[in-house]
Amino acid sequence: MNDIIFEKLKILSDAAKYDVSCVSSGVERKNKNTGGIGNASAAGICHAWSSDGRCISLLKILLTNDCIYDCHYCLNRVTNPVKRASFTPEEVAELTIQFYRRNYIEGLFLSSAVEKNPDYTMENIYKVLELLRYKYNFWGYVHVKVIPGADPALVKKTGALADRMSVNIELPTRESLKILAPQKKIESIIQPMSVINSEMTRTIEDKKVFKNTPRFVPGGQSTQMIIGATPDSDKTILNLSQNLYDRFNMKRVFFSAYIPVISGPNLPSVNTVPPLVREHRLYQADWLMRYYYFKSEELFTEIDFNLDLEFDPKMMYALRNIDRFPIEINKASYEELLRIPGLGVKSAQRIIRERKNAELSYDSLIKMKTVLKRAKHFITVKGKYYGNTKFEPDSIKNEIRFKEAQKQFSIFEFM
Amino acid sequence: MDYLYDGTFEGLMTCIFYHYKKEKASGIFEYSRYQQSIINSFEIVDTDYEKAKIVCDAINNKISREAYINVYYCYLSSNENKENTILDFLIFAFRYGKNTMNFFSHEKVLPINQIYLKVGAETHRFLGILRFSDVNGILYSKFAPDNDILILIVEHFADRYKYEKFIIHDEKRKKVVVYANERWEIKELKDSINIEYSQDEKMFRDLWKQYFTDLAIKERTNIDLQFQFVPARYRKNMVEFI
Repeated sequence: MNDIIFEKLKILSDAAKYDVSCVSSGVERKNKNTGGIGNASAAGICHAWSSDGRCISLLKILLTNDCIYDCHYCLNRVTNPVKRASFTPEEVAELTIQFYRRNYIEGLFLSSAVEKNPDYTMENIYKVLELLRYKYNFWGYVHVKVIPGADPALVKKTGALADRMSVNIELPTRESLKILAPQKKIESIIQPMSVINSEMTRTIEDKKVFKNTPRFVPGGQSTQMIIGATPDSDKTILNLSQNLYDRFNMKRVFFSAYIPVISGPNLPSVNTVPPLVREHRLYQADWLMRYYYFKSEELFTEIDFNLDLEFDPKMMYALRNIDRFPIEINKASYEELLRIPGLGVKSAQRIIRERKNAELSYDSLIKMKTVLKRAKHFITVKGKYYGNTKFEPDSIKNEIRFKEAQKQFSIFEFM
Repeated sequence: MDYLYDGTFEGLMTCIFYHYKKEKASGIFEYSRYQQSIINSFEIVDTDYEKAKIVCDAINNKISREAYINVYYCYLSSNENKENTILDFLIFAFRYGKNTMNFFSHEKVLPINQIYLKVGAETHRFLGILRFSDVNGILYSKFAPDNDILILIVEHFADRYKYEKFIIHDEKRKKVVVYANERWEIKELKDSINIEYSQDEKMFRDLWKQYFTDLAIKERTNIDLQFQFVPARYRKNMVEFI
């Protein structure tokens, strides 16, 4: 290793940083008794936080940024004159091991541009995994990207060694894909997703019969799409992600606010501010669908296909369905508790557990550290309503706005 | 009666034993930090492993495993009043039995549970932010946690670096855990260790620093959020902030 490695790392980590997924959770594995290194923790471990506040858990790099495709939004498009570099599989493996030994990282997230052709690139990704698992005996977390269009046999072979795989769907509709990534076909993206899914299902079935069935991507598969580069509505996006969860057993669908790194005729202007709030709202809605038993149609009205930017989606749902509130904390079912704005899974579980002992009072909610800032407008405790405003949507909105403004004001005063 | 113990967990448990079998405790304190008062008389308790085991078993069997873990984590915390928080909790818990931990918001349960969560959070955080360096093939790491969590993090690294040798150094409490050949031991260490980094070690540190800096997306800079996740006091032992 020498100076060239610094340059390569610079180029190839810079190109990978816009990939949002950095999760290392979902796989529990002890170190194997083979003289090797590493394990995986189901809870996931964050190792560092960069100055944008994002967690760094995995060494996130591209194998190469030398691409044959010409996707308009991408920095590495073939027609963009950027510096090109490629790691050898040996370099990636060595770097991973050395970072891992120093506890900088939880594992590797390997992505790649499409060099020469999909099979060639996929084969190289496989080589990295093979080196890590068999030569270095590395049992930490590895997430690899699947290159659309690669031979399914290669995808299967790689999946047997990886913890998680992902295929980026990139854009929410066929039309958008046609405009911004003309060489990518939706079919070639969907196909590996279903290969991974059927292989995972088969492994689970086999495991019921044969105890020693080798695992296949135990961390599941995920995907990601770009938000704000095309005019697609939030409803379209969430319906698609619902579909992906249902059809392919996706673990996660990630959203990535479009950051204008490059200019082009079909792209938003380079001065566009990344739609971070929108991205945040989409994640909230995504969470509601996965953990709070919401259906995507409950989050939208018949006229508005986008999420509100000022208030979170659960709050908007509650305000639209104000007749279903206030909810009595001492009587509501778990599912009903989850519908209360500002109340999370942890709080709901605590309420259920604690109220078995005695009826809860408003005071005990505060002691349990339940966040009541928003929730208090939508609940009763022992029949009493604690909101300090009229029980109607506009008053509640104004009250919360007022509280926010007050908070900001007191900060300025302090300064 | 104020009971004074030697700072060990077993010592603390022995005090609990005497509270029930000898004379009620008005308070439990660590011997070296005790300030005499005119009102309470005090007694220095000799740590008795058998009596301690009886108390530990009773907590596990008559209350719950969860309660025991809460007590143990609380003992490891830096909370100044931890002994009496534990005493108060146990008096309540032995009365309510197996159901105790469901009383989250009860004034005797809430404090210990909050300390437990704090210690647990710091433990989990250090699994991520502890940094090792390779010194002649031995992995060395130093840290200065708020709570005495060395014993809580060691198993994780013992599994992860099963076939390596490593040392984790708690600078604040002047002790180290030494791991080699699948066994570990905690030892006292009064002096600080001076480390010369090899060429290779320097290179990997620099590579990591460069990677760490490059990875941030400028358009999304959020320094406050970063401080929330990595408070300033933890940064002095982290390669990327040095």
